[in-house]
Amino acid sequence: MGKAIEFVKINKRFPGVHVLKDISFSVEEGEVHALLGENGAGKSTLLNILHGVYGEYEGAVLLHGKEVHFKSANDAIKNGNISKVHQEIMVVEELSVGQNVTMGYEPKKGAFIDFNKMHNDVDAILKELNCNFKSRDIVRTLTAGQKQMIAIAKAIYHHSNIISFDEPTASLTSKETEALFAVIEKLKKDGITILYVSHHLEEIFQICDRATILRDGEFVQTLNVKETTEDELIHAMVGRSVSAVASRTIPCQATKEVVLKVEGLTDTTGGKFKDISFELHRGEILGFYGLVGAGRTEVMRVLVGADPKLEGNIYLKNVPIPRNWNSTKALSRGIGMLSEDRKNTGFNKLATNMQNIAISSLEKYMKGLFFTDESKKLKNAEHYFEELDINPKLPAYMTVNMSGGNQQKVILAKWMSTDIDIIIFDEPTKGVDVAAKAEIYRLMEELVSQGKSLIVVSSELPEAIGLSDRLVIMSEGRITGILTDRSEFDSDAILNYAIGGNE
Amino acid sequence: MKNFYVKYKREILVFVATLILCVVFTVLNPQFLTWRNFLTIFQQMVLNGLLAVGIMFTILTGGIDLSIGCTFAIVGIAVATCTVGGMNPVMALVIGLVVGAVLGLFNGFLVTNLKLQPFIATLGTMSLYRGIAYVVTGGVPVTNVPDSFRNIFNGQIGESGIRYYVIVMLVVFIVAHVILSKTRTGDYLYAVGGNEEAAKLSGVNTRKTKYIAYIASGVCTAVAGLVMLASLGSAEATAGIGYETNAIAAAAIGGTSMAGGRGTALGTFVGALLLAVLKVGMVVINVDSFWQYVVTGLIIIVASYFEYAKDDFAAFLARHKN
Repeated sequence: MGKAIEFVKINKRFPGVHVLKDISFSVEEGEVHALLGENGAGKSTLLNILHGVYGEYEGAVLLHGKEVHFKSANDAIKNGNISKVHQEIMVVEELSVGQNVTMGYEPKKGAFIDFNKMHNDVDAILKELNCNFKSRDIVRTLTAGQKQMIAIAKAIYHHSNIISFDEPTASLTSKETEALFAVIEKLKKDGITILYVSHHLEEIFQICDRATILRDGEFVQTLNVKETTEDELIHAMVGRSVSAVASRTIPCQATKEVVLKVEGLTDTTGGKFKDISFELHRGEILGFYGLVGAGRTEVMRVLVGADPKLEGNIYLKNVPIPRNWNSTKALSRGIGMLSEDRKNTGFNKLATNMQNIAISSLEKYMKGLFFTDESKKLKNAEHYFEELDINPKLPAYMTVNMSGGNQQKVILAKWMSTDIDIIIFDEPTKGVDVAAKAEIYRLMEELVSQGKSLIVVSSELPEAIGLSDRLVIMSEGRITGILTDRSEFDSDAILNYAIGGNE
Repeated sequence: MKNFYVKYKREILVFVATLILCVVFTVLNPQFLTWRNFLTIFQQMVLNGLLAVGIMFTILTGGIDLSIGCTFAIVGIAVATCTVGGMNPVMALVIGLVVGAVLGLFNGFLVTNLKLQPFIATLGTMSLYRGIAYVVTGGVPVTNVPDSFRNIFNGQIGESGIRYYVIVMLVVFIVAHVILSKTRTGDYLYAVGGNEEAAKLSGVNTRKTKYIAYIASGVCTAVAGLVMLASLGSAEATAGIGYETNAIAAAAIGGTSMAGGRGTALGTFVGALLLAVLKVGMVVINVDSFWQYVVTGLIIIVASYFEYAKDDFAAFLARHKN
């Protein structure tokens, strides 16, 4: 078999940063090749070069032995038969599946779209992929996993023989992930070459043949997945040994004191959750496990005042919350949340690190009654750059340009700059690399040892089990189980609660 | 100094463009470069400058206030009626500001409490306020505003020819600059415009912040209405029609992002200055005023294209250097 992709001495520079340094490796035809590395290692940049998003680089990209230089992602799809399935699902919700798949290349009959041909062609592809939906379905009605399939169908529609997947499982349930893997297996059988990027190492072992590891923009090595271990992969990625598994290094810090008590919280208009009651103790890490869509985030949004409280009672340190509860009041009562959708709701993309860290605690950086003092904001930002080891340590750097783990730390620094003592983490390690994950776990332990109380919403079972002192399990908007002892944390039992089968 | 350049790159660029424009006009007619003409330019920019700095507050939050031209008319009518009726001029002035604030407050209510899209909400109040102006006056102008009121704005400093209303505009810009760059309110305005949901989750009072933006817009507009009334001595319901477009143009040329979260008082000032230089310059070189529209349109397009394309442009230059 020949080489599907060859990278030869690829160098890429952005103003002031050398992001890819002399990258050379190749991908065999018909293999599933993993591309691994921490956030900021250069994986996305390399994919962007391969798919024509970045036209400016040094070195050469060869496809099937021929040098290519794509001008745009479209050029790559059309002339290189190479497609990408993105981490974020990118679809037009109000159009049909067929229209999404063929977008820009619709079959024509004269000046009009030939809808019959479109739907026939696309239905054939969907059948090929074992999809249980039709070309005429409106995308809005599909699940996240089904929407992901649209991107794959699109690649096949364009006769791509190389498809790269950039964290395709990020928004999929475990069942959808299994379905995706079956499709990938099938694509492989059809001779399609696959480049696979993921932070989930177990996925790599499940479906990949070989793995190339990048670190700080440099090529580390290419490994045969069958001949390696998880530890070896992590070591190659991080450059040192890190535990990928969430675990506790200090004993439970929880006290008897109840800092948050929720009684009968119900979403009477949207029906997203019903009759939610639980308690949070000082110094506790309370896990919230459930499948995607179990209603956990919706509950948390009410607790922090992002959505109105409709029915039920919430007590913070034994004092009920006021009627017109909002996020500003929540902040003054000491409760805040790190949202799951970091990119869209986590921070201001137009603001610098310093501004993003300061925004919730501006009253601490005053000069007189009315004016803010930039130098105090700067000092505060620098303090947390050190304490949380945020990189790069540049206050004037735009947060949007940081890696996922460091963005998460900037948001954490924002909350630590305030006086809140109840912090809700919603999927804190989603899209975060192994080393940053371990650091975030360590920071959580540090927070509880300072007497703060944490709620950790997680859809990753090992994380929920590894971190929590107690574990609340939700299914379809209800609490189906509360496990109060770590010895009871059994993954089968937890999953059973999570799918609602507790009877 | 280097920091100033990095922070205000766009503003400096627009200012340089304005200077170039001045040079061109001076070459075409040396009369352009006189103290008198200089004063004319500043007098020309006062109304648009005040309206632009107001509307900028709403644009910063990701909104817009299309009703400013109509608020402008209502304030003029209200204050004219008061002063003609013999009210103390300072009292009337305060009433004018309050009327502007209340009209802005109502816009804020529609946008935050009723959650209407700002464009639609203020499109509605634009017609509503204009209608009120017509109904109240019956279409008849209110005239003979006493000099005691007019002199508050029309007087000049000694014999310099610098009118008080120019000073008033400068003060409004300075206050806006200080609010945006040195107060918590400023930080919150940028945070809400940059990412409203993130700001909300950060505990920022997004409702209050948006109210402040629309009230600021109403108050700045009211100041413009007062200046207009003082210089004309009369008020009518048709005043200010279409003024919102020029105000948006000044803010946009100065680098205010229509998506919110980006823009400065300094930029809006320079944007309004550029438009005034253009207006006065065209008159000085005897170009038909109709051409003003053509040139203004082109400048808006070029300015925003430059903002959009500057990275491409830098890459283009870098490529051709080698």
